[in-house]
Formats: sequence, structure tokens, C-alpha cells
Amino acid sequence: MSNDVSLGRLFKNGVFGENPVFRLALSLCPAVAVTSGVKNGFLMGVAVLFVMTMTNVTVSLLRKFINPKVRIPSYVFITATWVTVIDQVMSAYQRAVYKEMGLYIMLIVAFAIILSRAEMFASKNKLVPSFVDGVGMGVGFLLALMLLGVFREFLGKGSLWGAQILPAKPLLIMIMPTGGFFAMGLMMGWLNWIDRKFFGGTGGGGGGHH
Amino acid sequence: MKDMIKITLPLVAIFVVAGVIMSMTYQRTYPVRFQAEKKEKEEALKEMAPEATDPIKPAGTWTINNKPYEYYQATAGGRPVASIAETAGKGYSSFIKMLVSLGPDMKIRDVKVLDMNETPGLGDQVLEKSFLDQFKGKALSQIVLIKGETKENIQAVSGATYSSRGVTNGVKDAVQMLVDKYGAGIKVATQGVTK
Repeated sequence: MSNDVSLGRLFKNGVFGENPVFRLALSLCPAVAVTSGVKNGFLMGVAVLFVMTMTNVTVSLLRKFINPKVRIPSYVFITATWVTVIDQVMSAYQRAVYKEMGLYIMLIVAFAIILSRAEMFASKNKLVPSFVDGVGMGVGFLLALMLLGVFREFLGKGSLWGAQILPAKPLLIMIMPTGGFFAMGLMMGWLNWIDRKFFGGTGGGGGGHH
Repeated sequence: MKDMIKITLPLVAIFVVAGVIMSMTYQRTYPVRFQAEKKEKEEALKEMAPEATDPIKPAGTWTINNKPYEYYQATAGGRPVASIAETAGKGYSSFIKMLVSLGPDMKIRDVKVLDMNETPGLGDQVLEKSFLDQFKGKALSQIVLIKGETKENIQAVSGATYSSRGVTNGVKDAVQMLVDKYGAGIKVATQGVTK
């Protein structure tokens, strides 16, 4: 992850190679909590994409200024500031969207993936790569949440984005938190299998964090 | 000592700048937000009693869950058409704030959720029409939450029992209060349907 990596590859890395949910296995709490529906996953993903990009940019700009001994409080505070600003601006000017997304925005302050990207990437890289990394990771998170959302909502409620497709609810457990873990594990396994079979990858997820 | 300052100063600087940014945003957005919320509330009240021709005015406040809420009388040409109460019930992870309107016959006309923080995908199913519409036309004695099929009472959303209970309790308390205040003439009738 040095500076000579092209920006396109950096973006792809966030979406596929180091997908926050399926590869880094970060921020699994929200990934399980909100993906009971496609729409919820999408809204949360958009909010995270935004905060992640802004935080990465800010941390990158301030990376020489932040004392390494107190970097974690600094990162968390930067994230919290952006989250608060977004929350307030949206509540004033985008009421309709805010009513849907307001639930999720405040939660983002404590997301491991945001802190992790600030620490692992933005604090060591220049502005533009940090921006691209933020967008890439954000999009990766968004896609992962939507994928989980489609899987769980279809099986759990027989609908997609709120529109009923099947007349019944095939597997109600899928929209429960338990089902979230099932979906996550299965999806991770499938993606690793596809990666090994067709792309010659080594598969394998990261560690485990909240 | 020098080290301490070197570590603390940048951190404090970040906190101060962040604080300034946040308070500036708040100052700019608060009036807009306040206006928007006021307008939304007026619109919500109007929705609860569409045939009211006079402006819906607060009739007083009542207390539930140790918090004051307002109640309103909607009139058309001076004649009361509906009583509306703001109320709240404790759900799974939040207080579910609602508006409840009663017709002159003290039966529920409409229930509208204003604000809540229930689990997305589970608890927020209580927002669905199929759940909220159950309250329409029900009298006080019928507002009982039941886990299972029911037409007489209120059927809980499966997977969202706590949230369903929150809504039901909030509505029930509001109806009780409004019946105590305005329902003197028809009390006997509401008790008549007790099951």
C-alpha cells in the first residue's frame, strides 16, 4: 500500500481485494444489524461512504500535525465531527432523506472500518490516494451491505427493496440477527470459493473485529 | 513537561477547531431545522383531522413516561370533530413518539408514528400500514396486544413484539387520557364492548 500503486488499483482494492466486510471482516456489527433489507443496507452504505471519504481526507491533511501518541482520539474526534455535521445539515435541508437515514448516521462514529482506514492508510498517505482509498472502501462496504441485504431480505421476507416478490416468507430467521451471521458466513465462503476457482486467489478473510 | 505540551496542544487544537465547526453548523442549520419540524408537526396534526376547518390548537399538556406531551382539540366551525394527543411508548430500543386521534365517539381514527429508533428491519415494521391500521375504529377496551391472529384486538408484528407493545401502550395511555377528559358522555358505550 505505498504511493506508487495506481489509483484505479487502489479503488479496486477497496471494493474487491480488501473488501471491508468480506475480506477485512471489519464493522461486522453494523453489517449484521442493518442488512435485514436492501434499502437499509444501501442507506447505511451511502452514509458510511460519505463519512469514510471525509475522514480519510481530513486525517491525510492533518497527518503531520497529529501526534502519534494521541492519534486514536484525534481520528475518533475527526470522525465524530463529520458525522455531526452531516447529521445536522441533513436534518435541516434533506428532511425526507434524513427520516430514512437519521437512524444510521450517528452510529458511524464507532465503526471500526473508519478508524482502521484512518490508521492504516490515511495517516501514511497523501491526500489523493487517501481520498481514493476512502471512496473505494466506502463503495466496497456499500456493495457488501447491499449483497447481504438482497440475500437476507429475499429469503427472510420474500421481498426486495420493500416490494413483495414471493407470496410467503421462506426463511424468517434470515432477517433476525442470527440469520445475519449465517448470511455473512455463507457469503464469505462463496466469495472465497469463487475467488479460488476462477481468479486463482488464495481466499481467506481477515481477523475479526466489531 | 515539554513532551506533555507537545502531545496535548495538537489534540486540544483539533478538539477546539472541531468544536467550532460543529457549533457553526448547528447555528446555521438550527433555524432551518426548527422551521421544518414545526411545519411537519402542523401538517401531521392536519392529517389526523382532515375535516377540521379551524386551526388545531393545543388544549393542554399531559405526562407520560415522566415527559410532558400536548393534546389538541380539532374543531370545524366551533364544533369538535376530533381529539388528538401526542404520546409515546417504550419500545425495544427507544421511545416511540406518536400522534393518536379520536373521533367524538371516542374511537380511534388514526395513529401516526412521529419518531422512533427501533431496530431497522425488525422493530421498524411497526411503521407498516398493516400494523397501524389495526388501531382504526377501535375503542379503549379493544386496545390489547395479542401474539397471534385477531380482528377484535391488536395483532403484534412477529419479530417485533417489544416495538408492537411500545406502540400499543402509548396509544392506550393516550386514549385513556382523552376518554377521561372528553369522553364523559359516552363512557358507558365504550365499556359496553368489553370482551
